[in-house]
Amino acid sequence: MAYFITEDCIGCTLCARSCPVEAIAGKLKERHVINPKRCVECGVCGNVCNNAAILNSKGEKAVKIPKAEWKKPIVDKELCSACAICVHACGKDCLSISLPQFRGDIKVFAYLANEKQCVSCGLCASYCPLHAITMKGGEQK
Amino acid sequence: MKLPKYILINLASGTVSDYPISQELYEKYLGGKALAARLLFDLMPVGVKALSADNVIIINTSPMNGTGAPSSSRFNMTFKNVMTNGIASSNCGGQFGVMLKASGYDGIILKGGAESPSYIEILDGDVSIKSAEHLWGMDAEKVQEEFNPHWGKLVIGPAGENGVHYAAAVSGERVAGRCGAGAVLGAKNIKAIVAFGTNRVELYDKEKFDVYNRKFIDFLRTHPMTGNALPRYGSAGLLNNANASHALPTKNFSRGQYEKHSKITGETLADTVLTRNSGCVSCPIRCERRVMVNGKEVKGPEYETVGLFGSNIEIDDLDFINVVNFEADILGMDSISLGGTIAFAMELQEKGMADFGLHFGSKEGILEAIRDIAYGRGAAKELGLGSKLLAEKYGGKEFAVNAKGLELAAYEPRRSVGMGLGYATSNRGGCHLNGGYVALIETVGVVSVDTQTPKGKAELGIFFQNMIEAASSAGFCLFTSMAIIPGFLSQLGPAHPITRFVSKFLITVRPILGALWGMMPWVLPFNWMYLLPYTQSLKLATGMPMTSGKFLQIGERCFNTERLFNLREGLTSADDSLCDRLTKVPQDPSRADTVVPLAKMLPRYYKVRGWDKNGVPTPRKLKKLGIDIKI
Repeated sequence: MAYFITEDCIGCTLCARSCPVEAIAGKLKERHVINPKRCVECGVCGNVCNNAAILNSKGEKAVKIPKAEWKKPIVDKELCSACAICVHACGKDCLSISLPQFRGDIKVFAYLANEKQCVSCGLCASYCPLHAITMKGGEQK
Repeated sequence: MKLPKYILINLASGTVSDYPISQELYEKYLGGKALAARLLFDLMPVGVKALSADNVIIINTSPMNGTGAPSSSRFNMTFKNVMTNGIASSNCGGQFGVMLKASGYDGIILKGGAESPSYIEILDGDVSIKSAEHLWGMDAEKVQEEFNPHWGKLVIGPAGENGVHYAAAVSGERVAGRCGAGAVLGAKNIKAIVAFGTNRVELYDKEKFDVYNRKFIDFLRTHPMTGNALPRYGSAGLLNNANASHALPTKNFSRGQYEKHSKITGETLADTVLTRNSGCVSCPIRCERRVMVNGKEVKGPEYETVGLFGSNIEIDDLDFINVVNFEADILGMDSISLGGTIAFAMELQEKGMADFGLHFGSKEGILEAIRDIAYGRGAAKELGLGSKLLAEKYGGKEFAVNAKGLELAAYEPRRSVGMGLGYATSNRGGCHLNGGYVALIETVGVVSVDTQTPKGKAELGIFFQNMIEAASSAGFCLFTSMAIIPGFLSQLGPAHPITRFVSKFLITVRPILGALWGMMPWVLPFNWMYLLPYTQSLKLATGMPMTSGKFLQIGERCFNTERLFNLREGLTSADDSLCDRLTKVPQDPSRADTVVPLAKMLPRYYKVRGWDKNGVPTPRKLKKLGIDIKI
């Protein structure tokens, strides 16, 4: 079941801008709506909402998590085959395949190139066929 | 078992309906080109003009697409072939396939034509047909920039709009090139199809699949072909060996060696213009070349493009080939047919039979001609018809290098006679892949099977044709099948006694190879990664009972179904032919055996296939394969 936005929503657009699959629509200062067909239940909207206006798939109120505590994808370079599934799964264009270190270098791998954009949705890790990505860091203090 | 979901979009009426696929059909044909061939047989009335809105296009994915299996992002387009009037299938690695599946559909069937320029939007399973008036006329790169960058896109360029017979459909920078897919979309007034969604493929046994998948990816990454040669040099890395074995088409297939070949090899490309390698989504092989064109990093050329725009027109400039490759892509044209047709036009010019202002060895006028073809301007407009129709008008049939009307890929069949047989019998026309790609074991240096003997070529060709059909239907890129040839052989090299012994052995066991098909699927009732890595993967992903024997029989069923479509459209065994240059004129005048001995090989081929003397599948064969269609 998809996430849901309650009438506590003040229409700040933060969730819509953060959603990695563009599943949230709504105008400024109006209640937003989640497209249940597209929602991947990553929880990003709940993590960013200042008004606790998001219900998760179990119907519970999602609690905001400070940005500093968000987990980030860490790629195991040795395991990664640079298949780029994660690069394409990322809706925020955070991941890239590394550039060759020298002419003829074919040992490249995926890495978090744009950390600021990362919303900690974990889609990359869930799609990785080799389980080479783990979401780490930002443990709750 | 979850059945694939197909929809039928009637463009004339704007209606969308489900097109159910039965479990029986799914298990018999899997998906991709095999299932599409069967559906096309049901949906297409006989004798429809290929380049018209009445043509039916099936764009579909395969069971493995989106599962995370290696090199499995490919999608297929099947329709009536603009070049041959038989069946067409065109395969592409762009992101559209993954996104189509993520949007909720395994395949879409397009019937009829839209009244005005339109595009189809498939978002989260909702289909809408929208006006593309503002997109019409844009090149394939620009039109894709008009849509959300995260969506999967399949578009046509100006060539498709203007009915160039070999116009391609483009997804990202990857191209469904062959057979005129872009032209048919253009005839239907469809400029683009875009898809997006977040549906995930449900795996039958995720835990076991993941374990196997890791082994499969490791296998590809450690194999000398898929783990080293292809990522390092791309497909153009084959060029050096092709030249050494006189199989590099030069000057419109009149010779097999190009004296300046060292300037255009994959090795030279890697040492000079390559910026990095890349790949389709989900592919650990990463054979794609990245090169600079006009100050921008774009996709580099494949072996076929280098061969046909290099040696085959006597051009030794890689930078120029990169530009041509890029132009062909954004204008939306198949670089194989385009290159083949330009070489034919150059020979017509040289012989004084026509004047298109194009000359062997000269870059002058080529880029202008390519743009003129795409936009349907000037004298070059006629080149958009392809070499077969040009030969009907200007003559030169004996050196119009096509099979059934589709130009040959860059393997000179006179020094790779098994490939010659493959070209002639390929269902979609002069295609190396549909033709079995026997060149891989004959000339490009992986194994060194005798290139001139007709013995065993029918058996080997059929084996590879069927295997390639099955791998395509499951959704794998065909480069993964290079790993089936034991890695130590490519490390030893073609001249090593062990490689030569294996090559001889392959020819010697031909009676067994030939008899195998009568015993499928009971022979090979197991899955083994080093024999066919696909089967276990397929079994764990779908839950379908699958063995190597069953899998190969699916390939054989697909090939026969495609053949039946061709026969129903009026093609006959007379169309299993090549031009006189390849079958009658020896490449090396001092060696009479350097021709394609088609007349010797074809009867054997038909026999091993279980077809009658006229190349028609016998009722017995069809019954054995479980093909319940009659023509």
